[in-house]
Amino acid sequence: MKPATLSYDALLASVEKLPDDGLAVTRRAALDHLHKHGLPTTRHEDWKYTDLTKIVDIGNQFLDGQWDQPTSQATGDLVNSIRDSIEADWLVMSNGIIDQESIAGLGQTGISVTRLSEADGEMEFSTPLSDLNAALLYDGLRIHVAADAALTRPIGILLVDDATTSPGMSQTRIEIELAASSTASFIEYHASSGSADHYANSVSNLKLGDNSHADYVRIQERDRSHNQTNRLTVGLGRDSRFNHCAFDFGGRLVRNDLTVDIAHPGATAAFDGLYLAGGQQHIDNHTRADHRVGPGISHQEYRGIMTGHARGVWNGKAIVHDGADGTDAEQANHNLLLSDKAEIDAKPELEIYADDVKCSHGTTVGQLDETALFYLRTRGLNEHEAKQILTRAFAQAIVSKSPIDSIHEMLTTKIAERLSGLMQGVEA
Amino acid sequence: MTTESDKLESLVNRRYEHGFVTDIAADTMPPGLDEDVVRAISARKNEPEFMLEWRLRAYRQWRQMQEPTWAHVHYPPIDFEAISYFSAPMSDDDRPKSLDDVDPKLLETYDKLGIPLHERARLAGVAVDAVFDSVSVATTFKKKLSEAGVIFCPFSEAVENHPELVRKYLGSVVPQRDNFYASLNSAVFSDGSFVYIPKGVRCPMELSTYFRINAANTGQFERTLIIADEGSHVSYLEGCTAPMRDENQLHAAVVELVALGDAEIKYSTVQNWYPGDENGKGGIYNFVTKRGDCRGANSKISWTQVETGSAITWKYPSCILRGDNSVGEFYSVAVANNYQQADTGTKMIHIGRNTSSTIVSKGISAGHAQNAYRGLVRVMPQADGARNHTQCDSLLIGKECGAHTFPYMEIKNPGAKVEHEATTSKISANQLFYCRQRGISEEDAVNMIVNGFCKEVFKELPMEFAVEAQALLNVSLEGAVG
Repeated sequence: MKPATLSYDALLASVEKLPDDGLAVTRRAALDHLHKHGLPTTRHEDWKYTDLTKIVDIGNQFLDGQWDQPTSQATGDLVNSIRDSIEADWLVMSNGIIDQESIAGLGQTGISVTRLSEADGEMEFSTPLSDLNAALLYDGLRIHVAADAALTRPIGILLVDDATTSPGMSQTRIEIELAASSTASFIEYHASSGSADHYANSVSNLKLGDNSHADYVRIQERDRSHNQTNRLTVGLGRDSRFNHCAFDFGGRLVRNDLTVDIAHPGATAAFDGLYLAGGQQHIDNHTRADHRVGPGISHQEYRGIMTGHARGVWNGKAIVHDGADGTDAEQANHNLLLSDKAEIDAKPELEIYADDVKCSHGTTVGQLDETALFYLRTRGLNEHEAKQILTRAFAQAIVSKSPIDSIHEMLTTKIAERLSGLMQGVEA
Repeated sequence: MTTESDKLESLVNRRYEHGFVTDIAADTMPPGLDEDVVRAISARKNEPEFMLEWRLRAYRQWRQMQEPTWAHVHYPPIDFEAISYFSAPMSDDDRPKSLDDVDPKLLETYDKLGIPLHERARLAGVAVDAVFDSVSVATTFKKKLSEAGVIFCPFSEAVENHPELVRKYLGSVVPQRDNFYASLNSAVFSDGSFVYIPKGVRCPMELSTYFRINAANTGQFERTLIIADEGSHVSYLEGCTAPMRDENQLHAAVVELVALGDAEIKYSTVQNWYPGDENGKGGIYNFVTKRGDCRGANSKISWTQVETGSAITWKYPSCILRGDNSVGEFYSVAVANNYQQADTGTKMIHIGRNTSSTIVSKGISAGHAQNAYRGLVRVMPQADGARNHTQCDSLLIGKECGAHTFPYMEIKNPGAKVEHEATTSKISANQLFYCRQRGISEEDAVNMIVNGFCKEVFKELPMEFAVEAQALLNVSLEGAVG
């Protein structure tokens, strides 16, 4: 299948319109890389279940539009409501533009935030979508946590977009580095508004120094007509710890890539996720853990609930490279399908080239337990209530794994709201 | 022909513990493939017009197809023009009609392999349709089978005697353009087995075929078609060995199973082709398409395989669960040692209501081998009440080998229950220590642990195969420990 492609001329024109700053050279290199390799199609193994045609359409419409410079549009209400609901030090990017005030307002010691354009402008790009991100990036954030620092409040990263009138596309990029023995927690929040088509493409890189510890929660609550691709790449230092939890509630076509690289011994990574999808939503989670040395631990559990015509995709890959003895890799994926038209495509992969390892995966697809339903019915609950309770419990298992305690309550409420919306269409 | 014989001569003299190439004049076509070769193959087999047309259609489609590269295996490119597409031990006219007519040298070959054909067949009560290279040379127990109404014959004979059955079912499970190797097979298949079990008949004995690859440089393209009519039952055994040679040999077989209402087919394989030497030189390329179609309600197809041979295995025996309440099973042990590469698994396609499937896959990697499980469980929207359980375990012996799993689950029905579990581990020092402490040598201990690991699959094999399979496993893993 030949995909629709992004127009190179339009991309080039757009890149040339971006400021002549520290990122200019990298933008061109990324564009060339993208031009050479192109965007993936469903014939590409990693994109078998997710078709980017829709996103490419939006991109082309956006590039054809009168795009001189990206502007941060009216996202004020959305930003304020999120800031008010979660206690954190917020860094805000609206439509791909950094809110300078939010950087200036950071009150904690041990953390410094700069713009990518201020530095040498080096950006990693290796995949087609990170190429696209680097090529069209207006500016990104570099967050540095000093050695031995222990941040007391979570750092919130708010990525909001508004597409009120015309099709929009935005690129955001966050580079985070934790120096040795530091501790920090992050909340990456994606939200959007507006009735026009929108596509957001975010890229984050997280580097953990030796013995450092990062907690990372990603919450995605985009408008259900908007699209998103998101990539988080994590490099773990010696004896470092990374706890990650992702919640996908919104979005029409959503693709999340999480790559964890264990190249130093003693590192531990736990990454979990929950996706709740209904209507025409398509939520795709791809994870990859590379164990290059041992000992190292990577554990993941993703859970999904699908109703309506929704489609969930989960692909977990653990690669134990030659010599990574002492690796412990676990993958789990559990799914509930609640309607006739919903679909899940799950693929847990293990590639193992070392022998002293403990690796396992388990995947299930099914419905609510009949016995449990019956039990609740005998206690006087009607079927709808009983189903609500059981689906919530199914989802709650991921909340309890979420590493930032202060947002558990907020997450629980959000899940309850989303589930009650999803289950309205499900027969009682 | 002289060069071929010379090659055979030189191969006979080559060093190989169990090695031999039977020195009989092979009637071999020159290497290369075009429409004329396809016509020639068809002509030699006196095939009716419809078969030639069918082959030519497949050939034209194959020409437009690309060789697949997605499997987790690596090998030098295959030159399809360097392969000879037909080789018969004797010309068709004086093909042996019974065991007595069989070239004694051929029988000697079976002896060397430990398969005393007539004895084994008589003692075990198994009918053996031995395929020596491409033309079936001996079929026994025909009478007993024909009394039951069972047709068990070489494929070419079925084309002659039962064209209506061949026409109806050939390619109905694995279409000509299914994949690159199935297309190639459809164009040039030489021979194979044909089985038809009539309505309500329980096949009086286990049917068995021994495959052998013999003439140098000859790809072997088997075609097997088994049809179990309503309410019938058949158990089919397939096993194979091959002599040593330096060039890699391509083997692209197609097996099609059709189970109509209430019918059951059990298909067991022990595959022990030449895997290449300890440095990975030589060995068979085994690119096989095996698929069963549970076409009728309450039908059942069960695949059991023990894969220890071949340099490269690329094989996914699958079940299409079309009939309501149909059942698919896949039990597999795949052993890869030295530089062997295996990419094997199954596909279970749930279409009918209340269909169920079970997958048990045990992969053992040793030496420098790479062993991958690749499976698909697809539940179609109309497949209410579908059930699947997959268990997929890997055992690693040694630091240089690899074990991989690529299971795909595509579920489009909310009533489906699908479970997949996989584990990877090595033989623990504790287990070994315990056995050693009890006076069991390290090699015996490993064999014991490996056999225990595979027990779930072995118990699905017919008795005699199960014994053979255990012995085979021990031989395959020789030298893996230490």
